[in-house]
Amino acid sequence: MSSASLKKLEIKTGLKQLRELRKETITAATTRMKEQKQIIKAIKNQLQQPTTVPAIAEAAGIPPHMVLWYVAALKKYGEVKEVDKDGCYFRYCSIEAS
Amino acid sequence: MRLEAKIEVDAVVIGGGIAGLQTALDLAEQDYLVVVVEKDASVGGKMIRLSKVFPTLDCASCITTPKMAAAAHHENISILTYGDLKSLDRSSDGRLEAVVEKKPRFVDEAKCIGCRQCEYDCPILVADENQGGFSARKAIHIPFSNAIPQVATLDVDHCILCGRCEKVCPTQAVDYFQQPQTIRIHAAAAVIATGFQMTSLHDKPQYGSGEITNVIDALQMERLLAPHGPYNRVLRPSDGMEPDSIAFVQCAGSRDRSMGVPYCSRVCCMYAIKQAMLLSGALPLADITIYYMDIRAFGKNYEQFFQNAQAMGIQFVKAKVASLAAAENGAVEVCYEDQVNGGVTRTSHDLVVLSLGKIAAWNPFGTCPVEVAEDGFIRSVSPRLAATLTSMEGVFAAGAAAGPKDIVDAIAEAGAAAMKAASYLSACHRPKQARSGVSINVKPQPSRAVAMG
Repeated sequence: MSSASLKKLEIKTGLKQLRELRKETITAATTRMKEQKQIIKAIKNQLQQPTTVPAIAEAAGIPPHMVLWYVAALKKYGEVKEVDKDGCYFRYCSIEAS
Repeated sequence: MRLEAKIEVDAVVIGGGIAGLQTALDLAEQDYLVVVVEKDASVGGKMIRLSKVFPTLDCASCITTPKMAAAAHHENISILTYGDLKSLDRSSDGRLEAVVEKKPRFVDEAKCIGCRQCEYDCPILVADENQGGFSARKAIHIPFSNAIPQVATLDVDHCILCGRCEKVCPTQAVDYFQQPQTIRIHAAAAVIATGFQMTSLHDKPQYGSGEITNVIDALQMERLLAPHGPYNRVLRPSDGMEPDSIAFVQCAGSRDRSMGVPYCSRVCCMYAIKQAMLLSGALPLADITIYYMDIRAFGKNYEQFFQNAQAMGIQFVKAKVASLAAAENGAVEVCYEDQVNGGVTRTSHDLVVLSLGKIAAWNPFGTCPVEVAEDGFIRSVSPRLAATLTSMEGVFAAGAAAGPKDIVDAIAEAGAAAMKAASYLSACHRPKQARSGVSINVKPQPSRAVAMG
């Protein structure tokens, strides 16, 4: 076995041990990630056209403060943009959709 | 195998906020070798997270960032970020020894180029403490856009070890097996600049114990007002509404024996006035009210600043707020005792900001034998004549570590601490460390095994 293959195997074994060691946090984080994916999907579905946080919340059945948190995060990572103002609220839409 | 490193310097500065950085720069300019130990992943402290400073309304980041960069690039200064101070005491040779555990970032600092590819690819969102929790960061992230150093940090509590960050990293900087590193710093003098923290939003049941979404603290409002804030504008966190009516509740954590903070935090009046002025610029049609017991505008040009705020139409209501409660449509009902007209009054606001108290960020008990005062801050042995002197010879205090103070005073005191430390170093007749810059000589010590994570 070449030295590169040995190193690869060593890393693989090390990662396996690490996964075992962090089993609890990994399980909890994985559950959170799955929930987050579902919420993001529901929010993004609403963001195909410009809409406000309360409108997304109502349509997706997600609390508005949570919708705002996700919209702020998606905006930060370049997936959502602010479009214009609708009364006291701002409207957002998916960058892919615009 | 635990990695150990040893550093020999003239002075060690504990804390990389504005006071710590100023102290380090002033000492380094006098040709002393300095190490700055910072517990966070970036230097900058509280000030880098502020929007603007009073009474000049200068951009806080525009003042702090050059100081951070100057310290990071100074040949006489070495910065140790993400380090836990385990002990600071005098060693047998009479010099001070600071033992610091450098926490693993799980990213090689020498290889990371700060491109944030790992952050963009990471699938886990985590509440971003650098944005007051209003937005998210990733499990692997760079703390903020002007962080120094621009190095990613992996938060293992939220990592699923999916391997994406490692795959996308162009420099193979991600290292899941990184270990903590013990660094022993030997210095002749030390300056404690550990700063302050705010009392908890959860400590006051009368104000909702942190459960009312539209009741936020002043540092969170700083983030809403900052240009790179979570929403890039001021919005109500419950639903994203632009608030029409905003209230500030003064002495919400200070001058309050029930909170264990009987003293005045000295800066709350001025930062509330500053935030109110910035809000009236950002939201010209909004009603802004400050509920106060008395306004303490003691510094240079502070009284003028207060008067300017009154002239701008900010309402000052002399009252003690008794309670806050969630009302309809996300509003917050403020119940207060009017100290001018008398009686209990109830009124609603879209957003309420609590001016929480300042408490010491670091308790030296068990870490360092330096004395603390009854208020929890480092005790000055000569508060009137030499405020930076502590109970330990060769150990000085700067900034809010020695008591609540504003930025102007913290920077001035940092200069004073540097001067005292320099005098002490000079009086010690110890030769300055060789002028080849600070180098951290890392060598693996075959000591006890360290559990990962």
